[in-house]
Amino acid sequence: MRVSGPGTARPMVFAHGFGCDQTMWRAVVPHFAADHRVVTFDHVGAGGSDLSAYDPERHGSLRGYAEDLVEVVRELDLTDVVLVGHSVSSMIGVLAVLTAPERFGALVMVGPSPRYVDDEDYTGGFSRADVAALLESLDSNPAQWSAALAPLVAGPDNPDVALELAESFCRTDPRIARDFARVTFLSDNRDDLPAVRVPTLVLQCTDDAIAPEVVGRYVHSRVPGSVFTRLSATGHCPHLSAPEETAAAIRAFLRTL
Amino acid sequence: MTDPSAPRDRLEQPEELARLLVEDPADLYEHAPCGYLSLLPDGRVVKVNRTFCDWTGLTPGAVVGLRLPDLLSAGSRVFYETHLAPLLRLQGAVREAALDVVRADGSVLPCLLNAIEVRDEGGRPLLVRATVFEATSRRRYERALLAAQRTATESERRARTLQQVVSELAAAASPEQVAEVVVRRARAAVDASGAGLWLAVPGPDHVSGQGPVPVVLAASDGLGPALLAELTAAAEGGADLVRSGGVRTVPVGPALGAAWPELAGALIGAAQDAVVVVPVSAADDRHLGALVLVLGVVGDSELISLAEPGTRGALPEADAELLATLGRQAGQALERVRLHQETARQATRSAFLLDAARLMAAGHGVAETIERIAELAVSRLADMCVVDLMTEGGLVQPVVAHADPARRHLIEELRDVHLPRRDGAHPSVRAMVEHRTIWLRGVDEAELVRFTTSPRHLAVTRALELTDLICVPLVLENRPLGVISLGADARHGLFTEADVETAEQLALQMSQGMDVAQRYELEWRTSHTLQASLLPPTPPEVPGYALAVRYLPASRGADVGGDFHDVVPLPGGDVALAVGDVVGHDVTAAATMGQLRSVHRALLVDLPGPAALVDRLHGSWPLLGLPRMATALFARLDPATGDLRIASAGHLPPLLVAGGRAELLDVRPGRLLGAPPGPAPEWAGRLAPGATLVFYTDGLVESRTADLDAGLERLRAVAVQGPTTDPGALCDRLLDALAGPRRADDVALLVLTRLPADPLAAPGRAADHRSHRPVIGAGCEEAAVEQARSDLTDALEGASGDVSVSGDAMRWSPGRTEVPAPPVAFPGLDVAAGLGSVLGLDPAAVRRLVTGAVDRLTTVAGDVADGLRLLTRDAFPGDPSRDEDR
Repeated sequence: MRVSGPGTARPMVFAHGFGCDQTMWRAVVPHFAADHRVVTFDHVGAGGSDLSAYDPERHGSLRGYAEDLVEVVRELDLTDVVLVGHSVSSMIGVLAVLTAPERFGALVMVGPSPRYVDDEDYTGGFSRADVAALLESLDSNPAQWSAALAPLVAGPDNPDVALELAESFCRTDPRIARDFARVTFLSDNRDDLPAVRVPTLVLQCTDDAIAPEVVGRYVHSRVPGSVFTRLSATGHCPHLSAPEETAAAIRAFLRTL
Repeated sequence: MTDPSAPRDRLEQPEELARLLVEDPADLYEHAPCGYLSLLPDGRVVKVNRTFCDWTGLTPGAVVGLRLPDLLSAGSRVFYETHLAPLLRLQGAVREAALDVVRADGSVLPCLLNAIEVRDEGGRPLLVRATVFEATSRRRYERALLAAQRTATESERRARTLQQVVSELAAAASPEQVAEVVVRRARAAVDASGAGLWLAVPGPDHVSGQGPVPVVLAASDGLGPALLAELTAAAEGGADLVRSGGVRTVPVGPALGAAWPELAGALIGAAQDAVVVVPVSAADDRHLGALVLVLGVVGDSELISLAEPGTRGALPEADAELLATLGRQAGQALERVRLHQETARQATRSAFLLDAARLMAAGHGVAETIERIAELAVSRLADMCVVDLMTEGGLVQPVVAHADPARRHLIEELRDVHLPRRDGAHPSVRAMVEHRTIWLRGVDEAELVRFTTSPRHLAVTRALELTDLICVPLVLENRPLGVISLGADARHGLFTEADVETAEQLALQMSQGMDVAQRYELEWRTSHTLQASLLPPTPPEVPGYALAVRYLPASRGADVGGDFHDVVPLPGGDVALAVGDVVGHDVTAAATMGQLRSVHRALLVDLPGPAALVDRLHGSWPLLGLPRMATALFARLDPATGDLRIASAGHLPPLLVAGGRAELLDVRPGRLLGAPPGPAPEWAGRLAPGATLVFYTDGLVESRTADLDAGLERLRAVAVQGPTTDPGALCDRLLDALAGPRRADDVALLVLTRLPADPLAAPGRAADHRSHRPVIGAGCEEAAVEQARSDLTDALEGASGDVSVSGDAMRWSPGRTEVPAPPVAFPGLDVAAGLGSVLGLDPAAVRRLVTGAVDRLTTVAGDVADGLRLLTRDAFPGDPSRDEDR
């Protein structure tokens, strides 16, 4: 967990999604550190988190991750928090807001999806078979999905550097990553959306293969009073691919509050 | 190329090689042995080579413009967006990322991708260059490796499951715990949405091979109430759960729908796909029950199930094998647990039966014993107990008990309402009539309605929450004694066969115990009824006299004796008195005494004198056929004068108490009644006013610890230790002092006091006697001690005998004896002592008797001695000292 920015400023908590760690926010955080108390953290199993805190029971649903987040906020005794959640952390954020409404003042959802699996009258973007294949892929190549790519980054000539990098980026525990994927892609939080009572921004990327625009619009339609902003950034990680645009959209939203 | 060790032939055509090596860069790009893609930073493809297009079957036009993730399978797409793209952005390069490219025909091309991000001087991304290598073989190898690894993991998981089950089963102490372990572990092992274990109910109702085995649910996990109810209904309704064979998987389909439509409906409603039935069997292949698992959507997870509906109908072979093993393990554990429980229960039952036996041996009355047995039964065997006893009036007076004090009033009400109007349908009546145990397993409402006889009866039985009932008849030698009914309520659970056996054992013990006790009670009651009828409760009033009688039965044995007393007013004013003792103190003795007493009264019609009475009794004894000998004293009193005649048939002499002295009267005993007949000398005298006469039986003066002389001495001493003119008080004093609470023999006591003379009441003869003879009664306190002997003599002045024995006061009645009295001042003393001596108790007295006696007396005494010796043999069998004294 990292905290930066003035202690008296409005707190902003950034929660990373499935697949990486708080490093994801490094291009966005500077845009807010001047006038906000910025908190970034790693979900259990990701980055530098304490793996012993992982509890298969507790973390067998998003609720457990939301409780973790609320604990962070309570630990720091933050109130009127602007919670920025990427991908699955949008839904973790929803659950956290519902769990401790007194702590949160606004919610920003980056590429949210309340349910990835298609259902009757609902398009999530993935069939059951897709998700089964995805989980199968996680099972069959857990190293790839955790950290094994990193050592190769620096090239074979300098393994020491590679090791350092491996420590740095998106390292996740293979077993927890697999479980987190299950929880992420098999949750259904559609019915939690209408209960959200804080000002909410839905940030939707162009051509997001994971959270298609139809899903973002669905979220917007179910969260009362939410704001929908479509970014020109493509893919699923605008905070990496287009940090300026992402920060600007969030700033614009915060100004309206 | 410059390696000197390179084969020479490679260098034989250097020109051609050189030409080939001067590659056309465009051709190299297009036909490189790897796919080549150029992407914009957002992943859009801007350039692709032929190789990639050839591999994928896509045209360059179809590829360019798409984002790379669009070309990938769903899993790879997610990997690209969540991992690859961020890492590329963060690290600038990725290598050997495994991705699945989807070909034009939809098939998947496993690839490895290397990519670098080309950045401008400011670090901003400009382009991504990516090479793609086909990795089909490698991926196949990886998959095979993974599959093997998975198989190993699965195998290890199954082994672990089995190991956990075995270890948890080892700790299980009840069938329910065994069931819980197996259900929980089996469900988790095959990821079933629910599981339950049904156990066959061992019971008398089921005949092997006929119809479905009755089953009961022992444990379940994850099954919703509706599904559980349908499964149970199917199990109870005859679904062949408990049967031989292996694990069966029954898909939810038309076949199941046809056989069990409700169950199939419930399964479909719960989105379940199949039912798996696993036999639970013992080591010898006996089938104890079935583990039933339901496969389908796991209902209790928050997560979406990936299983498409209808895809869980099959069970992997390895899982089926695991389940079969679990079923066998469960069966063996069940057998072990049941054996253990049965052993413990057997010990408890044995202890219970032992306690019951102790209770019955404790010698309480029948009623109290039954009550205690009922209390014991509800503390150890059942919740409620009703014992009906058979009497002449049918089944009456049930004893009831309930384990729960809060329900005691219910069982008591049941006792009050159920009995009188029971008809033949009641199980206890059936048990009684059919002479066999009736076991109603799982009493239901219909059953209650059938055997109750009134709404109130029904209501009470219902309130008792009776679930199980055992009625066992109490029968001995085909004779019904009653019936014991044991009930269990919902909290207790059902009885087992062993419980029924215990109840039958208890009933057998009770039957035998009750038989003995009832016989004993009957004898006791009979003898006492008899006794009561034989002893007049209160003697008649005799004017001028105070009279008291006592009868105490022996404290041990049959509790009835042959002792009696009788006071009969005769026509003409005389009063006949009698005290007697039939040998023994049992029913026979009592019966003999009753007859003797009746005959005595019958003979009194002719008003015979005492000696004549003895004569006649001797004469009629053979005709009466009485089985026992008897001793008796008969007296005739003229109340007006105090004249008294006494004859003894082998009986102890009466005691005269007067003037502070007590002496035994010298009434010479004739032969025992039942012995060869002989004359009984008649004693005659007059009872002075204030004098008291004590008739008693040997129970008062005989004891095991002291000889008869000592007893008689004590009698005399106690008689004068207080007032002597109140017969009641005297009786009590004598009994208190001489007849302890532990009497070996009966005691009959008759005490007669002639009240001090009342001139107005008896002016005539009493006054005459007094006029010429000084009479000093016991009430005359002024009498001097030195005068005591003559006082006593005066008190019994001879009145009407033919032979005067003593010049002072007493004369022997001549009767038929013609025996001169011993030449002593107090012949009574000597005769008494002599009587003692002929009993072998006082040689000195015998000597005195012989010196002053005539042959006739010796003869009589000898006969008496014979009779009494018989008595003492009865009382002291095998006592050698007695024989020597003879």
